[in-house]
This record gives sequence, structure tokens and C-alpha cells, in this order.
Amino acid sequence: MKKRGIGIGSMFYGIGYGFSRQDIGAATVEICEDGSVIVRSGEVDYGQGSDTIFCQIIAEELGVDYAEIKLITADTLTTPNAGPTSASRVTYVTGKAMMKAATEVRETMREVAEEKLGMQDLMFANGQVFSMSHPEKNISFARLAKATHLAGRSVVATAWQDITTKDVDPETGQGDAYSTYAWASQIAVVEVDTETGKIEVLRVVAAHDVGKAINPKNVEAQIEGGVATGLGYALEEQILINKGIVQNTTLSEYMVPTSMDVPVIESHIVEVPALEGPYGAKGVGEPALIPTAPAILNAIANAVGVRVTALPANLENLHRLIREQENNNKDKS
Amino acid sequence: MQSFQFYSPNYLEDALKYIADRKQTCRTLAGGTDLIPMLKKEEIRPDYLLNINEVGELKGVEDLDNQVRIGATTTFTEMIESETLNRFFPLLVNAAASVGGPQIRNRGTIGGNVITNGPCADVLPGIVALDGQLELQSKQDGRRLVSVADVLVTAYETSIRSDELLTGILIQKPVQGTKSGFEKLGRRNAMAKARLNLSIALRQDPNGTISAVSIVPGAVMPVAVRMNDVESMLLGRKPTPVLIQAAADKLVEVVVNTAGIRWSSEYKVPVLKNIFKRVMWRVLAEDPQ
Repeated sequence: MKKRGIGIGSMFYGIGYGFSRQDIGAATVEICEDGSVIVRSGEVDYGQGSDTIFCQIIAEELGVDYAEIKLITADTLTTPNAGPTSASRVTYVTGKAMMKAATEVRETMREVAEEKLGMQDLMFANGQVFSMSHPEKNISFARLAKATHLAGRSVVATAWQDITTKDVDPETGQGDAYSTYAWASQIAVVEVDTETGKIEVLRVVAAHDVGKAINPKNVEAQIEGGVATGLGYALEEQILINKGIVQNTTLSEYMVPTSMDVPVIESHIVEVPALEGPYGAKGVGEPALIPTAPAILNAIANAVGVRVTALPANLENLHRLIREQENNNKDKS
Repeated sequence: MQSFQFYSPNYLEDALKYIADRKQTCRTLAGGTDLIPMLKKEEIRPDYLLNINEVGELKGVEDLDNQVRIGATTTFTEMIESETLNRFFPLLVNAAASVGGPQIRNRGTIGGNVITNGPCADVLPGIVALDGQLELQSKQDGRRLVSVADVLVTAYETSIRSDELLTGILIQKPVQGTKSGFEKLGRRNAMAKARLNLSIALRQDPNGTISAVSIVPGAVMPVAVRMNDVESMLLGRKPTPVLIQAAADKLVEVVVNTAGIRWSSEYKVPVLKNIFKRVMWRVLAEDPQ
């Protein structure tokens, strides 16, 4: 028989390292004579999209086109150490360092522009620098870059963002362990085949507080990837070890979900600004997968009344739990 | 890295001559979905590799008078898309559709599924259930037909000679009113080996009596084999819950007696029973063709 159930999983998650562990992001922004921008940071994008976010932040701060930015990351010869890509910290910490470095060079360029245009209310947008009250008083960003170079002013800035927190009270464990927290709730709808133990996840709805979605599509992709990962964690992924040797070393033996296993995922972005993040943004990478397994396991309990307390909830494990429950019910009656 | 001579003839005659001269030192490449991983893992070290994909006579589904011939290098995708197979053998179409994913189905062949003779094969049990015959050809003896069930020795082993090539699978067209069912249980919905599968074909008299039945479970026995003891329980009887339950009990009894109790039996025995009962009832409820 196939039975359906609905379950909820909720979580909060500390962004960055917390507990007094050093946590510093860094970025260098350099304006070239032709108005193009070189950005350097030790932060590596391993697929989550931080390079996109960085370029968006620089483009926003300098009012230049996204395509004008050349980003160099994770090169120990040329990039400042920004700490690892982990702890869902990259946008929150290094994104803010990007913003600070860009602001610093922009303010130097603003001084040059104020001298050239004789105006104080200058705005940087669309590759132009112009007076908000007298838009006809303007200069292109590229010409201003050249002028700043010729004036011998600094066109390079490196900025650091330090979110290292105090440790908690060693006696009570109380205190502000993390700089900020991400919050999320997910709801899963599952169908359990009681005869085989097979679970089909039919739908996941995921609501995530990301502070500010600098790139909403990217946030959705992070949520979808997290849910797929959480689904694999809940239902199938398991490292099999025999006498210290891993038995399933290939992806044909270590089962991750395929596109045929991942259901429709409905993402809802919630924006409660984090004070220290760029534009209020905080991390979403790990938070996206944390509530998924609890939501699925709660949905299984809702469908068939058994509590899965050891992962994965694969065919054999779930079928055994269902049979144990049937036997218990028989004993009682 | 292995080195071997690679030969890719266009004509069957050339292929047969090639293996006749080389026998065990030669391996045959059809879809390669089993062979290539075996080569990469160095589980096999052939001196010669015969590619049969360019031999036209081995490809495609033919509607003959009272039988259907499926060429050995017909891919699972081609099986799924074949009008003839959809009309006469939906069991094989469903089984082919359950294999791996689109890329594997585009490469993997029915002949390869037979020759590899893996215990978790998806299509081979269906061929056994339909009493398929293998068309084998060799330079020495020409063409001979053998029942598929007769060549499956044990897992990954057949009695097909090393100078013989499997060129096609022949299946008698079903008698009017034949119905069939297939179910596969995998760890995920694609790219998964069968934990279990089940192929059933049967026919009922107008009054409901089961007049023909063929049952082949997969991934529980060393090789795909018809469950004669279960079939004889059902033959000549009208299906009732008591009868189907007794047949399910008999089925797992046969499986346990043949394959023994393994670590997986705790799961597979009750689940095979459940799957048998539900596929049986589904097929019984279906209108005949």
C-alpha cells in the first residue's frame, strides 16, 4: 500500500566559524586606466556562485558594467588570504570585504571627480559619474579612472572584514557564538510504499532567511542543490566500510539522487537583513540542506507512523521498521 | 592501459571468421556498457576486441510470420521505440525502459544483456519468461537455435561457445489474450541496479482459469529461471487470494532453497512476496490484448 505524509524540518545555523575562531575575509580592488576593474581575493568559487556575487557587488559599488570586472581568485601569488570556502561564510564575510575595498577606491575617485566637475552630489551609475542635481555635469567612469591615475592618486585598495566573535562563557556555554544566524523551514511531502520500503519524495517547499538575496536565481539554485543533497542524505547515501576499506568508492555504488529522484522544489526567499553582511546578506549554502532530512523523516512518520532514528532511510531500513511496527501491533492486539 | 587488436567488420561472415580463429582470446563489443568498465578495471585482458555494431544483420526488430526476431545489437532505446515489441511484448519494452538511464539505454543492447548474464539483468528474465530462443552462429556450424534457459549456466557464465556469436533473439508471438507484468525495485529511480525485479506473462480462459503462466524473478537467483513449481500451482486454477498467497509463499520457498539465505534475504524474501502478489493482481485485473 502507498501512504502519503507531510513533515516539517526547521533549523538555525551559525554563519562563519564563531566561538572566537578567527574569521576574516579579504579583497583587493584595482581600477585600471581604461576604467576596467581588477578584483583579487583568495576566496575560491567551487560552484556555489560566489564569483558572480563578488562581481555583482563590485559593479553595484562602482556603478560599472558587470563585464568590466576581471576577477582573480584563489591564487596564492596575487590574492589576499580570505579564508576558506566553508561555514556558509563567503558572501557574508568576503562579500563585505569586496564592498569595503570598492567603497575605498570609489571615494578616492569621487574626490578627483569633485575637483573636475565642481559638484559634491555625485553618483556612480551605468559607467558614468554625474551630479544628481545637475546631471549634465558628468564624466565617464573610464575617463575618471584615467584622470585618477594621472593625478597620482591611489587606485588600489585592500579591505578586510573580520567577523571573529567572542567565545561563549566556558562555564555556562552562553554568549553570542556567531556573528549572525541563518533560519529556514522546509516541508516535505512523501509517499511510502509499505510493501517495499521505497520512499518517493513528491514535493519540497523551502523557506530560507538569506538576509538579502544578492542574486535570487543563485539562491534558488543553492536551495535546490541543498534539498537534493539532503534528500540523498536522508534516503540513500552511506559510506560502507569493511575492515577500514571503503567498499563503495564510485558513484555507481555510492548512491546520490538522480534527476528522477529529486521532486519539484518550491523556494521561498525570506530577507531579514544581517547587520554585518553586504546589503544585509548572509549564507545559504549549508542551511539549504540541513532541514531536508528532518522534514522527510517527519513526513515518513506522518505517513506510516514509524520513527527513523538512524540514516539512511533506505529500502531495507524502512521496510524493517514498518514490519517491526506491524509485529508490535499484532502483539498488542 | 590495455592494448588489444580492434576489429570492426561490416559483414557477419567476417565477424564469425575472426572469432573462429581467436576464440577465448577475443571479446565481443556490443553496447559496451558492461565490457568497457570491465576493461577499465582490468577484470578482462583480451588480445582481440571484435566490434559487432557495424554488422547490419545484427540490428533491429523484425516481425516474422509467427515470431519476432530482435537483432543482438538492438539497443534498449530501439526496443522501447519498436512498434512490434510494443504490440507483442510490452513486458520486454517495460523491462528495457527500466534499465539505467537514457545514455545507457542508447548504448546497451539486448544481446549484451543475455551474454553478460548478470543476476540483476532487467531484460533477460523477460526473455526467459517468454521462452525466447537464441540464434547463435559460427563459422564451423552455421546457425543454430537454442532455448535461452538452456545456456544460462550460472551468474556471468553461459554455455555459448567462444567461436559462436549471438546474432538474434527469437520469440514466438503470444497467443491471443496473453497478458504480462513487470516491476523493478531499485535504490533510486534511475541509474540503479535491480534490488529485485519480476517478469510475469499469463493467459486466462474466458471463465478466469489460468491456462498459461510464466514467472521469472530477477536479482534473487543466480540466473533467470522460470518458477515451474509456482506456475504448476496456478495452472488450471482460478485466482483467489488464498491461491495467490500460496503461490507467493511457494515462490520465496523456491528462491531460498535455490539461492540460500543471504544477508539480503531478510529484506528480499518478504518484499519478493509482496511484489509478486501485486504484479499478479495487476496482471489479472488487466484486459487481455
